[in-house]
Amino acid sequence: MTLHTAIVKTEENKISSEEAKKFILSEQNGAESIFVGRVRNENSGKEVTAVTYDVHDQAVIKSFQSICSDAKSKFDKNASIFLEHAKGYVSVGEISILIAVSSAHRDEAFKICRYILEEIKHKSPIWKKEHYIEGNEQWLPGYSLRPKEEIK
Amino acid sequence: MQIQLKLYGSSKMLSDKEILNIELPNNSNIETLRSTLNKIISEKCLKNNLENLSKTAAFFSATDEVVNDNYKLKNKELISIIPPIGGG
Repeated sequence: MTLHTAIVKTEENKISSEEAKKFILSEQNGAESIFVGRVRNENSGKEVTAVTYDVHDQAVIKSFQSICSDAKSKFDKNASIFLEHAKGYVSVGEISILIAVSSAHRDEAFKICRYILEEIKHKSPIWKKEHYIEGNEQWLPGYSLRPKEEIK
Repeated sequence: MQIQLKLYGSSKMLSDKEILNIELPNNSNIETLRSTLNKIISEKCLKNNLENLSKTAAFFSATDEVVNDNYKLKNKELISIIPPIGGG
């Protein structure tokens, strides 16, 4: 098996980079690229304490599998990919997304990792609500999936 | 007719529940749903927070496919509202 995708409910589990490293380990792949996204403590001048991620589970898994499959077709069909995204409350410093890729060569490993991240931001139905130190919260703007020709 | 709107992201400000039941005229389509949604946003005084939601949201059918504005809604159909996304 060379592809693992999952949504990790934060009240039940944590995203583990050790699991990811084990999963992508392969004798035929000499390069590994790992992207770890964490919640940071500031956004647009506001002090952030946590982010709540909302996820359309079925559509996200479908999009993850399609994106990873496209990435393999484009860059390296023998690549191994581990992709997990958090769902629920994630405190500052904790992992929100982890993409781990092993490939025959470094260029493909980097490219696959970058490709997956950018595609997720435009295709996977995931939303962020930031929680601020003052106690207020805000859903962040994002990329519309409405067909462009319909937006007047 | 009535549809069930499953709420995601910022649309969760519309209700404490995961699903919002919305009354619509018979033979409504997604375009009608957008107009009705606009009225609901005004009634709930959420214009400041959700001003562009009815314009920018996409809608998924029960099979998780984006449906266009001409899509005819069925009575009791479950539709997901997909506000602009931004994971990662």
